[in-house]
Amino acid sequence: MFLQIFKFEIWYRLRRPATYIYFGILLALSLLITLMTGGFFESLTAVVGVGKVHLNSPYTINSLTNALVLLPGILLVSAMFGPAVLRDFDSQMHPLLYTSPISKWGYLGGRFFGTLVVTLLLMSGIALGQIIGALFPGIPADRLGPFQLSYYLVPYLTFVLPNVLLTGAIFFALATLTRQALSTYVGSIVFLVLYIMAQSQLSDLDNQTVASLLDPLGSGATQLLTKYWTPVEKNVRLIWPTGLLGLNRLLWLGVGLLLVGFCYVRFRFEQGATGSAAPRRARPGGAALGVVAPAPVAVALPAVDQHFGFAQYFNQYLRLTWLSLRDVLRSPYFIAIVVAGLAFLLAAALQIGKIFDTTTFPITAQVIEILSGSFSLFVLAIVTFYAGELVWKERDARLNQMHDALPIPNWVPFSSKLTALLLVPVVLLLVVMMFGIITQLSSGYTNLEIGLYVRWLFGLKLIDYWLLVVLAVVVQVVVNNKYLGHFVMVLYYVFSLFAGQLGLEHNLLIYGGDSGIRYSDMNGFGHFVGPYLWFKLYWALLAVALAVGANLLWVRGTETDWRTRQHLAGRRFSGPARAALALALLGFVAVGGWIFYNTNVLNHYRGSKARQQLTVDYEKNYGRFRHTPQPRIVAVDVNVDLYPTRQEARVRGQYWLRNKTGQPLDTIILNLPSNEDVRIRKMQLGPGGATTVLADSLMGFYVQRLPRPLAPGDSLPLAFDMYYAAPGFEQSTGRTSIVANGTFINNGNLPHLGYSENAELSEPSARKKFGLKPKPRVARLEDTTARANTYIASDADWVRFAATVSTVPDQIALAPGYLQKEWTENGRRYFRYAMDAPILDFYSFQSARYAERHAKWNDVDITIYYQPGHEYNLGRMVRGVQDALSYYTKNFGPYQHRQVRIVEFPGYSAFAQAFPNTIPFSENIGFIAKVDTTDPKDVDYPYYVTAHEVAHQWWAHQVIGAAAQGGTLLSETLSQYSALMVMKQKYGPERMRKFLKYELDAYLRGRATERIAEQPLYRVENQQYIHYRKGSVVMYALANYLGEDKVNQALSQYLQEVKFQQPPYTTSLDLLRDLRQATPDSLQYLLTDMFERITLYENKADSVTARKLPDGRYRVDMVLSAKKVYADSAGNETPAKRMNDLIDVAVLGQQKINGNWQDVPLYRQKRRFRAGTTRLSVIVPSKPAKAGIDPYNLLIDRTPDDNVKAVVVK
Amino acid sequence: MFAKTPIPMELRIEHLSKTYANGTQALRDVNLTIPTGMFGLLGPNGAGKSSLMRTISTLQEADSGSIRLGDLDVLHDKDAVRRVLGYLPQEFGVYPKISAEQLLDHFAVLKGISDSRQRREVVAGLLQRTNLYEVRKKNLGGYSGGMKQRFGIAQALLGNPRLIIVDEPTAGLDPAERNRFHNLLAEIGENIIVILSTHIVGDVSDLCRNMAIINKGQVLLTGDPLVVMQELRGQVWRREVDKEQLPALLQEQQVISTRLFAGRTIVHVVAPTQPGSDYDAVEPTLEDVYFARIAQAEQAVGVEG
Repeated sequence: MFLQIFKFEIWYRLRRPATYIYFGILLALSLLITLMTGGFFESLTAVVGVGKVHLNSPYTINSLTNALVLLPGILLVSAMFGPAVLRDFDSQMHPLLYTSPISKWGYLGGRFFGTLVVTLLLMSGIALGQIIGALFPGIPADRLGPFQLSYYLVPYLTFVLPNVLLTGAIFFALATLTRQALSTYVGSIVFLVLYIMAQSQLSDLDNQTVASLLDPLGSGATQLLTKYWTPVEKNVRLIWPTGLLGLNRLLWLGVGLLLVGFCYVRFRFEQGATGSAAPRRARPGGAALGVVAPAPVAVALPAVDQHFGFAQYFNQYLRLTWLSLRDVLRSPYFIAIVVAGLAFLLAAALQIGKIFDTTTFPITAQVIEILSGSFSLFVLAIVTFYAGELVWKERDARLNQMHDALPIPNWVPFSSKLTALLLVPVVLLLVVMMFGIITQLSSGYTNLEIGLYVRWLFGLKLIDYWLLVVLAVVVQVVVNNKYLGHFVMVLYYVFSLFAGQLGLEHNLLIYGGDSGIRYSDMNGFGHFVGPYLWFKLYWALLAVALAVGANLLWVRGTETDWRTRQHLAGRRFSGPARAALALALLGFVAVGGWIFYNTNVLNHYRGSKARQQLTVDYEKNYGRFRHTPQPRIVAVDVNVDLYPTRQEARVRGQYWLRNKTGQPLDTIILNLPSNEDVRIRKMQLGPGGATTVLADSLMGFYVQRLPRPLAPGDSLPLAFDMYYAAPGFEQSTGRTSIVANGTFINNGNLPHLGYSENAELSEPSARKKFGLKPKPRVARLEDTTARANTYIASDADWVRFAATVSTVPDQIALAPGYLQKEWTENGRRYFRYAMDAPILDFYSFQSARYAERHAKWNDVDITIYYQPGHEYNLGRMVRGVQDALSYYTKNFGPYQHRQVRIVEFPGYSAFAQAFPNTIPFSENIGFIAKVDTTDPKDVDYPYYVTAHEVAHQWWAHQVIGAAAQGGTLLSETLSQYSALMVMKQKYGPERMRKFLKYELDAYLRGRATERIAEQPLYRVENQQYIHYRKGSVVMYALANYLGEDKVNQALSQYLQEVKFQQPPYTTSLDLLRDLRQATPDSLQYLLTDMFERITLYENKADSVTARKLPDGRYRVDMVLSAKKVYADSAGNETPAKRMNDLIDVAVLGQQKINGNWQDVPLYRQKRRFRAGTTRLSVIVPSKPAKAGIDPYNLLIDRTPDDNVKAVVVK
Repeated sequence: MFAKTPIPMELRIEHLSKTYANGTQALRDVNLTIPTGMFGLLGPNGAGKSSLMRTISTLQEADSGSIRLGDLDVLHDKDAVRRVLGYLPQEFGVYPKISAEQLLDHFAVLKGISDSRQRREVVAGLLQRTNLYEVRKKNLGGYSGGMKQRFGIAQALLGNPRLIIVDEPTAGLDPAERNRFHNLLAEIGENIIVILSTHIVGDVSDLCRNMAIINKGQVLLTGDPLVVMQELRGQVWRREVDKEQLPALLQEQQVISTRLFAGRTIVHVVAPTQPGSDYDAVEPTLEDVYFARIAQAEQAVGVEG
């Protein structure tokens, strides 16, 4: 019996077109994404490299397979398994079937497993798409590895099979037991939500194990398993279900089978859903079969007045709208999706602004951004789903014939449904708003900014949803098939995700596209609103046209073939419809024209491909000037006039250029902003000017010949006057630097000298494609010519600096240096700043309506310029500056300035950056952090970031590395180290562990996604995961091994040797030499391992036991294993040959400190370890809790958590 | 029964033809003139009755021909037709989770009855007439087939319809309900046009003074049931035969119907004179007319073909 039904099910499914459509969808998506990753569409767009992981590597195959099994896979699974039993009810077949002598197991099992087999077959479309994609011509050979069938089979068996079985079982059970098709739809959405929630929990380092086990699809466990895999490993390692992943797979496979069993137990061959359900068809009251009802009373029907006309129609429209809206809001599925959404919001709310697991204050902007972002998925689902339900409402109830014959015009039902669905997002946004307010209040935050909620959610966000609603309804009407309509909408979502990669970049081309909008507490919505609304108006007019068209095509009557609909549409296309359509289309074209005029005529629009071409042209045309010797900028005196409200600025002033070469120079290369951004009013070399030999105003590349060569040692002035205009608006908002409140620009906007190698195309695969020679990311450490420049400038060393900045009268304008004078002139406010000693050619200008907080450290003035309302962490920042200044002056050397200024800027970017005596600091990384210092897990990052930036006054503004490998070690790593030491001093070593754990994790993740080559620390090529993350871990360990004082002495000595030096500039080799001098022979290997090699430990506590001794002490026996490997730049590992390393061994006890149980070391000692297993015994004074090797994770280890184990006391 | 008695008018269908996209020819040159009163449209399943009804009810387009209701051009002035139309489709559903009263009120609004007091009265009146008043608060999901059908007729009577179209209204009704339904229809049909489509001959003979027989999209006969029965008087003969004799009989005679009665087959044939001694003359019923006409038409097609 089972076998027959099973076989029939397969046979039946293989004859259904849907099966092939689903297969086709998966195949097409998989092929499309494979081709996209493979760079197949790069002829349409810019070339974006993908690094070294092969297109057909087991890792890539596994990732894509899992992504597609999730979406659209889950939806397809629900579409396959839902009807497996349900179709008997839909087709009213069940009375026939359920009275035939089939066994329950045969019926349910046959249907389930038959469907499972077919679903698994159609899932093979994913693998097939990938295989075909890899065979496509035009995929570069270096993106492909060898073809291995196992790469496709293993993910299929490990993920596709159990996941389809599990999710299939869920939907099968839901559909079979509820006998409602809708339940599977909602079930799939709820499942997706829960799944995404489980995923988001993974980011917290503390509960990864639990989260990865609980993730039903196993991708969390996969992530945990593979997160540190280097490109080489990703290319060859198969993801076998071992360890946590294996456990996860077994667990959920079991759950899936249990669900099938549950379904089996609960299922009854009865009419009702389950045996226990009450019989559905209760006897209705009144007349029933067989009972002779009383003869109807012959009541005369009252006369009625019927009214036809607009007033009546409008009244009907309102009423239908209300009924449709009520239908949606009362639907249990709507409520279920909203509840799921709220659960999701709760998860999102807990994550607000997390950095290092430390949250920010729930300021309204953050709350809105996070909550409305998280909720939009649900709005999409609800809109898509209910567009179908509403459009099909009468037909689903089979009331359509009556309805269609009613004396109402077509627009009444159409617009009432449309309006009802337009109101649905309003309700949803109200829910989001209420939730946001509750979130804020529940954490004691009372600055609610209701106006901002209203403007953001109902002014901006709602427009997007409304456009979406119109599209969804129009699609449902036009397509005239509910499920096809849903599918078309999914296609639209996919399309809008990938449009850019397919070469459609202009926002005039993507339905709903806009120029982007950014909110900042400092600048509000700024000047972004206008362009945003223009774009939305453009799309709204199209939406109106679409709606009018859909109204014409509205299906009324029983004929639904396209020809009849077209014919009817023609008949309905009367005066008002014509006028509305014409007006909407006319408006659409007119507004589109206006936008185009702004984005492409007033401004210059280039797609990513054209922009890339420009950099290629630059290199091809002017690369020959690469080595043309140039004078250096030695003095800067600029006037910057900021016009914040219109995003414009005038930059004029004078440089002094000196010939520091040994030969006379007659050719000066000016490297200026493109004429698309700036109008050059004056650019004059020397008193008499120079002859222009070459002028490329688009690229801003000018070659000038001096009338008389500039002799070695001589100087000449460069006078300039440039105007940054901001005409109209751009297609994508790029103008975030000069804004109404919170301007932040730097000297990149000023003239520069010489050919700029930084402007060259750097992506290796793009260079190859455009026929450019390979270019090292950074010059080699051994390249002595690279030492002629610092890594931040190629046309200056140290400059004398003065600047006058002017702005609107209610703002304060800042530049590095000390304020000399402040005055008002012509209604503008002027500030004159000057530096008393040379600085790097690296400075910024800021302007905003600031409040100020003043403090002092010795005789150094500390000022924080901040946005009123952002007072939360000013104290921490001030203390950060003070503690940093005192630590650095004590341990490294004197501070070269008399002032430290921290200057807030809008959160369009999230960083802090150190300029001489001035530190621009984004509002988003510290000003609104909510640090709970009583929570040992919270990292006081406002304090930390401040200390880091202050450290740059030494490590960057005194010691600056050459433009070679290792350059950023000397600034970033040393600043990390300095800040770490300041933080350790304040918070103690215990608190540092959390921070370092994040740093270690970030380093290991970073190296896993390296696209070119991982470098050892001393050769770091501006790789953030190395100079920040690895730098932190390594330097902290070094201080532990050598002693903080010794490290500081070496650093101080190094600083004295190289500070404020002229070229040739220092490299990491100089620093290493000083560190080596401070290091005893026994630890020299450590420097080699840490700086010169990529070293990874695999240390582990195999077993730890303890016995209580008669004297009350404990003897702890440990079996510890140690291993050290060296990795090459691609991630290939070789075990270290002679390992004899000093590694911490510790036994930890538990002690209650400030109400929290904390680990306290009972024993801690560095011991020598060789590779392999070591047995150790130590005696400790009190009861041990944990013990192990390298317990504080000083060394880089990919499984840091197995270093210690709980002690088993015997 | 209605306060405003509409002036007598007629529905005139001329040369109406329709072929569906899939090639089925549903209506072929249909010509009918339907006066006020009950009009029966009789035909077997798939004859084109519903196509014709839907076309009159503005739910479907015609390829050629015209329909006029008094001065109204039904095919082109759909809105005007809908204002005077009451339509009960052959198959329909309801919103299961609302009550008859609510749904009827909803329809009343959509029929343009904007005055809520009037609406309340007419809804209550119709529910009483259709004997649903007791259960008016019950959700429609719990209604039996007959109750649902009565709800359908209530809906069709809303407003002041001058043209009521009921498509196979008695299918699925028990005899008592059918009877009640007929009474209701008969009462309504006094002053306005009521078109009743059915495949049950009894419905027509009970109710209609005018009728048409339609098969394969063609009108085979129109007239007063009494007159058409009269025309066939003396030509219908009845005989009891054994099952085995039937095939031979079908060859010899123009058999219009065969029916089983107490294990024997009763055959009706049409013949100008008594075909044989074992044939008894019978008074023609409408059913005989119906079967005779359909059989004739089939034969004609056979001959033509």
